Amino acid sequence: MDAVLTAFGEVLQPQVFLIIVAASAYGLMIGSIPGLTATMGTALLVPITFFLDPIPAIGAIVASTTMAIFAGDIPGALLRIPGTPASAAYTDESYRMREKGQVELALGVNMLCSTIGGLVGVAVLILAAPQIAAVSLGFSSYEYFWLALLGLSCAIFVSSSSPVKGVLSLCLGLMLSTIGIDVVMGVKRFTFGDTELIGGVSIIPVLIGMFAITEILRKVARPSRLPAPPPVRLGAMISGVGSTIWRFKGGVARSSLLGSVIGALPGAGADIAAWIAYALSKKFSRTPEKFGTGYPEGIVSASSANNAALSGAYVPSLVFGIPGDTITAILIGVLLMKGITPGPMVFVMDTGLVNAIFAVFIIANLLMLPLGLAAVYGSRRLLSIPQDILFPIILLFCVIGAFAANNTLFDVWVMLVVGLIAFILEENDFPLAPMILALILGQLVEENFMKSIIKADGQLTEFFARPIGGTLGVLTLVIWVLLIGISLYRATRSRRAETIGE
Amino acid sequence: MRMNDAVTGCVFVLLSALILFAARGFPTLPDQPYGPGTFPTIIAAVMLVGGLSLIWSGARSRAPLLVVADWMRGSATLHRMVWVPGFVIAYIYLSKPIGFPILVPVLLGAFLTVTTGRPVRAATIAVLGTAALWLLFAYILRVPLPLGLLTEVIY
Repeated sequence: MDAVLTAFGEVLQPQVFLIIVAASAYGLMIGSIPGLTATMGTALLVPITFFLDPIPAIGAIVASTTMAIFAGDIPGALLRIPGTPASAAYTDESYRMREKGQVELALGVNMLCSTIGGLVGVAVLILAAPQIAAVSLGFSSYEYFWLALLGLSCAIFVSSSSPVKGVLSLCLGLMLSTIGIDVVMGVKRFTFGDTELIGGVSIIPVLIGMFAITEILRKVARPSRLPAPPPVRLGAMISGVGSTIWRFKGGVARSSLLGSVIGALPGAGADIAAWIAYALSKKFSRTPEKFGTGYPEGIVSASSANNAALSGAYVPSLVFGIPGDTITAILIGVLLMKGITPGPMVFVMDTGLVNAIFAVFIIANLLMLPLGLAAVYGSRRLLSIPQDILFPIILLFCVIGAFAANNTLFDVWVMLVVGLIAFILEENDFPLAPMILALILGQLVEENFMKSIIKADGQLTEFFARPIGGTLGVLTLVIWVLLIGISLYRATRSRRAETIGE
Repeated sequence: MRMNDAVTGCVFVLLSALILFAARGFPTLPDQPYGPGTFPTIIAAVMLVGGLSLIWSGARSRAPLLVVADWMRGSATLHRMVWVPGFVIAYIYLSKPIGFPILVPVLLGAFLTVTTGRPVRAATIAVLGTAALWLLFAYILRVPLPLGLLTEVIY
């Protein structure tokens, strides 16, 4: 109990708390402006967290993303444009509620469910993470190698595009991680004689390039004017919300738990959780015919699930250092820069940090209620910021952010080149999530692979000799067989479609 | 800018060939076949297979080599998009000699004029935006943003 109080005490220190509130306001802005995603917001936040202590840095990321995932619902209900991809699943539904004059109820339900889902996700994190960490203390390099590979394979498996493109994106990320001094012998690899590359590619400019430059290119090419949002009565956002959620309490509970589990799967984040929760709640509903007509049941489920997924993603990230989604991939990058290697030892050595993360999550989710109301109130003003002014300023911010981490212009080049390559890749349906996970996990995979293969003296059977390691290995192989099966099935199906077409 | 899968496949095959070639030059551990080249070799092999399979499916799909998406058509669009790398490259080359406080308002103002088409408003926002970011990064976070021409004026 003492530890918990210390953690809250640490997080509620005026300076830390102020950073959390500021980050929350930033997150609400990022989330409610369409085109700025939670991942992009986090990438832009990283240059600033670089200058903070670990706890406020993590607090800023946790608070801003929690708020952003909720705030994405605001333009969804008001304008039928999801603010972040995580709100896309139920944008139509909440817009239908607006047409029925229930926009306040839709937003109120979104807000309260986001808080509930978020808190359930934190509860799962608090209960599950230390248990899993205790088990995984006995892991050797074999288990870690398989676990990391399993995580990466999951990321390809859940990405919607073709598995081949997912694998190639993964390979690119792994290759990027091999640049610099190698882990086995300290040899320089792929540095092209450049001294800046000896230390490896720095994470911050890569993140900014991948998630911000790509989006800026798209938005600058296609400027869009948002329609004026309708007025919102705040009083109506509170009345009737409780009874609506109580009516669908089963759905809220199920979706929150489901969301936490989906979030914990590497590569699957808040957006996938929302889609699945929405589909499942339609399936389990007593009145599935009402879905799509402005019925709150689906909204209740999906908006609990996406916030729950956010917390769920921290389970594998903290316990194994294997990110559950792109946001936690960035968070792990930040932790590594601060000299903290996420893994089971963190739960033994750094309990203060772990408890502080839990505390930040709880506080951020509770802060969502007052700040969320304020954001809805100010949304008319926020949504009237013209995008053609916003994106050039964000570009300048990116340039300074990429420069600021190491004070070198070389990193600005890295940001630009990665951004342009990522833009072309995304245009051609290559998913970026496997690439960023691979870049973060690359060293872990290589180090544990090399350790294992040297220990095993080249005997591949050794990789399956230990019970947990072997199980993880078999699981990974099963996923690969499935992936190859899906690719082949798609190929034959498209061939059949072609012959029919001809 | 959608390319035929065969084109992207070729790029990956080429890249993997280069990696395989480079990895052969790395030393190995004494008395062991493994070394710094082992891991890149494995990845490059996977990449090679993936690239070949893209070439195979792309060639059979008979899709055009390059399709420019509708929203990217039009010289005005292209012009605005080229400004993004242009802005970054201009900053990289000019920020040191000219200095952040002089270069950035001009650069940002020009870019904003391109996107909004209203020069006066663009200039105002550019000056305010530069000042805000200078305050945040140079004063609060102590990032040494280059002063350039102003170095001699101030010191």
